[in-house]
Amino acid sequence: MGFYLENPGQIADADIVIGIPTANEAANIQGTVARIDKGLADYFPGMRSAIINCDNHSADGTREAFFATPGKAAKLYIATEPGEGGKGANIQNFFEMAARLNPKALVVLEADIKNISPLWVRNLVTPILKGAGFVCPLYERHKYETFLSNSIIYPLFRCLYGRRVRQCNIGDYGFGPQMLQIYLNTPFRNRLVANSGIDIWMANTALVSRLPIVQAIMGAPKLHRIRGRFSDLPDLFAEAVATVFDLMGAYENYWLRVKWSKPTALSGTDLQEVETPFPPADVNPELLHEKFLEDFDKYYQLWERVYGPITARKLQEIRSIGFQHFSFPTQTWMSILFDSAVAYRGMPDADRTDLVKGLLPLYIGKVLSYVKKTWRMSLQQAEEFIENECMMFEENKPYIVKMWTKDERS
Amino acid sequence: MSKILVVDDEEHIRLLYSEELKEAGYEVITAESGYKLLEKIEQEKPDLVVLDIKMVDYNGLDILQDIRNRFYDLPVILSTAYDTFKEDMKSIAADFYVVKSFDLTELKKKIAMALETRLPD
Repeated sequence: MGFYLENPGQIADADIVIGIPTANEAANIQGTVARIDKGLADYFPGMRSAIINCDNHSADGTREAFFATPGKAAKLYIATEPGEGGKGANIQNFFEMAARLNPKALVVLEADIKNISPLWVRNLVTPILKGAGFVCPLYERHKYETFLSNSIIYPLFRCLYGRRVRQCNIGDYGFGPQMLQIYLNTPFRNRLVANSGIDIWMANTALVSRLPIVQAIMGAPKLHRIRGRFSDLPDLFAEAVATVFDLMGAYENYWLRVKWSKPTALSGTDLQEVETPFPPADVNPELLHEKFLEDFDKYYQLWERVYGPITARKLQEIRSIGFQHFSFPTQTWMSILFDSAVAYRGMPDADRTDLVKGLLPLYIGKVLSYVKKTWRMSLQQAEEFIENECMMFEENKPYIVKMWTKDERS
Repeated sequence: MSKILVVDDEEHIRLLYSEELKEAGYEVITAESGYKLLEKIEQEKPDLVVLDIKMVDYNGLDILQDIRNRFYDLPVILSTAYDTFKEDMKSIAADFYVVKSFDLTELKKKIAMALETRLPD
């Protein structure tokens, strides 16, 4: 893959390299770069640092704004070929450019984080310099902020890959040179990974790398533009779920051998919680119920075919409960996810698209059920609720192993 | 035979855990505080640590971070009289937690799970 490069300082080596993927972020990039630069200067003053803006050939002046930000770290700008877009394309360019600089630690931070703190740079870089392979941040989250992670990615990744990493698809990471080489040499990349699937791909690839993973406590929520409103949801959901299912096929030799799960080490445990307000959690249970019912009849036959008559009957029961007492049992959701992954594996692309589209109303039903059950819970209680659900996924792992390997055995 | 290190500043708990876990087929060693605990782990090489959170001179959650940083995959089960520790994010570095009880069924179940956990090398 080729990319356009500007390296005004002719930088050939850097100990710490920070990548900021962008697509038209002229309005946001300066604040992010300034705070990253301060973090590098405050916490790693003796190290050579470089900040790379990995851009989608933005036409809004992102490049100019990036170079105009004052700071001590060297600045490099790389851009995809005109017409080529997606965060994944930017990150893959970052891998290739960063590898030329022989870094000891690499970090990716999104450009639109409004409250980024210099301490976050410390928390993502320090564990890498101490030998970790991959660092995933742990932002403070509202209990209704990360449904996709809560309902699908965290429970599935934990049960499949055996490592408890809470915010796998968050978009910001630290990693070391060994992990960089793995990223550069991992052949599995598709159109989803070239776009927003890159976050899941990076975390998933780290989970199977066998390198130590650390979760970094950031002490604050991540305030940024939130995708995932209903208008964005179908695309966001489809990209995430298809990436997870695709990677299950790619990494089956790993996850079929995993039993139970293990925690990770933590960094940033000295951080005091800072007074940054949580973003408003825009949750409307009535609307979720309406969306759950809306496509029920449209997809019912598909569900019956993929999940079998017993689950289909269960779904009819769930529909008949009505809003007031609505509940989507975790056991049902889990078997739907497991059966979907197995079915997805053996389907042509067009059928896969339908399967994932058909999973969306069920996911919305699961989200509604979570909202209703946790409505009066504190964040900590809601986290315990999710942890219990994860244990159910782990306890039922033999089911997906059996279904996944059924064809191979017969 | 799996070796379990029980760290607790209360002697009767160390005794109870030792006897019950030995009866369940484990080799058990004990420590009464976090003092030189990492060195003890280095020397004794236990397969699992049962760690009290509130000891007179030591905070078990801080010890947990030290253990996790030095012995990345060593299973640690937190043992506590109160479950308020869960408000502290440091607790997520533990494999499991149990609330202290004279009935060790839950502890034995968690020990078995932690020792069974398998990730590919």
